[in-house]
Amino acid sequence: MNLITEAAKALRDIGKGMAVVSRAAEKGKHTNLYPFEMPEIPPVSCQSLALIIEADGTDRCVSCLACEKVCPSQVITIERTRNPEGKGFVLERFDIDLVNCMYCAACVEACPVSAIVTIQDFELSTYDLQTLKADKAFLDEQGRRAKQWYSPKLGVEYRNEQGEIQVAPLEQQPGGEAELLKQADKESDN
Amino acid sequence: MSIPAALMTGPTVLEPVVGKTDEMIVNLGPQHPATHGVLQIVLGVDGERVTRAVPHIGFLHRNHEKIEESRSYAQVIPYLDRMDYVSGLQNELPYCLAVEDLAGLEVPERAKYIRTAMFEFNRIISHLVWVGTYMLDLGAITPFLYAFRDREMALDIIERTTGGRMLPNYFTFGGVRRDVHPKFWQDLLDFLDYFEKVVPEYETLTVDAPVFQARSVGVGLLSQELAVNHGISGPNLRASGVAHDLRKDQPYDAYPELDFSVITRDEGDVWARSKVRMDEIYQSIDLIRQCAELAPRSGPYLARGRVKIEAGEQRYRAAEISRGQLGVYIHSDGGTGPYRSKHRSPSFVNLQIIPDLFIGQKFSDVIAILGSIDIVLGEVDR
Repeated sequence: MNLITEAAKALRDIGKGMAVVSRAAEKGKHTNLYPFEMPEIPPVSCQSLALIIEADGTDRCVSCLACEKVCPSQVITIERTRNPEGKGFVLERFDIDLVNCMYCAACVEACPVSAIVTIQDFELSTYDLQTLKADKAFLDEQGRRAKQWYSPKLGVEYRNEQGEIQVAPLEQQPGGEAELLKQADKESDN
Repeated sequence: MSIPAALMTGPTVLEPVVGKTDEMIVNLGPQHPATHGVLQIVLGVDGERVTRAVPHIGFLHRNHEKIEESRSYAQVIPYLDRMDYVSGLQNELPYCLAVEDLAGLEVPERAKYIRTAMFEFNRIISHLVWVGTYMLDLGAITPFLYAFRDREMALDIIERTTGGRMLPNYFTFGGVRRDVHPKFWQDLLDFLDYFEKVVPEYETLTVDAPVFQARSVGVGLLSQELAVNHGISGPNLRASGVAHDLRKDQPYDAYPELDFSVITRDEGDVWARSKVRMDEIYQSIDLIRQCAELAPRSGPYLARGRVKIEAGEQRYRAAEISRGQLGVYIHSDGGTGPYRSKHRSPSFVNLQIIPDLFIGQKFSDVIAILGSIDIVLGEVDR
């Protein structure tokens, strides 16, 4: 008799577990068929770094060395010379050692002109480690290829079809909710 | 300089006991998947019973505290994520609290609620990893798949705001680094509505499952006295019947405004520790809901200011992370960075209970006990 009740209890408990499993099967798939289906990565996500060039071809970077100073891993190397015609500096070299970079985005936060930004290109794997010692040409190319990028000063930006840089709408920006609420308040005041 | 012979062998290397011929020395780890990282435990086994247990740590030592001495206060924060990589956000908070105390920064109301919600959300993520990997250790693969499915959704919400998944680098002195995603609170509430229905499924597969109960009830008993004497904290301590929770005892951020009670159980065995973590998931869901309700939707998220931390000032602040009490001690010499920064990591302290819990237990229960303590080796070795 005892054996029968125990067997019945065991069957009931197994049934409970199997019910959970069958319910989970109804929920559909939760995986991506990478690289055929690319995951959707939010615009603020920090996967790699890039330098942004304006639509007219000038560098945003003003070689102020703020990123170099603030970097915890000390992977940024900048060389600059004084501009012979007028004020400011000429950027001679801008290297980031992406191997030792820990993608904390401290440089992006320090940049006063949003020249260095975070992008979502996470496919940096390579056969040759030296290619990840990124120079300015590499970082410029990353900035040119990026669909959208993020910097704390200007928020999420993207290049439109004419190649001009535009700021993304508030619905995609961090803090967009607070801004939208502020606007709604102003409108109601008027 | 040659290393002294005493250090090479050390007192921890087990020598077979004379006259006890059938004691066997077994190495558990450092490459054992159930050690959650690289922990080596040298076990003396007499038949099926464990006679001695010596944990060897340090395989993941990365010199965090020394690195922090040569960085500025703000530069330290990304390194903190890498200590306990399962709950990266939670690691940043005690350090930020300590520096805010030293600098006299007042955190804005909104930032407090964002921080608290993120903190509790990370507790859910951390406990999900624990459910998955612990059941994997015990031979159940199904909960692992479900736990990581839900963890992935949770990490997506964190990534949408912080820009990182496991290493977010989000909290900072005086608030948070950037404002939240416009749909952050809505995303959180939507996820919790879904997740609340899934947690009973985990319970069916874990703490309510008779197979798990047969392996866990009465195993690895940790008495109240032993737990307090060893300085155990977190769910391990609360499962032994001690109502100690820093969120209640030394409240920080928005916890004083939230309504919750400390979860305790009296059994002190593996099952009780698992059950406490399961109940804490429900508690975190409730706390995040309260945060979402009370949090102001607009206002400053960061208090900016330039302050100099005077020489000789020191502060210890602790927070209740998912593994226990994480404390940070900072000593300033008036420079730009901490002169000394010491972390009291809960995993390291909780690990010290291992010899006491293992001795006398059956060999197959060793993994069950080790997993129930929920250690992360990145935090143990730092």
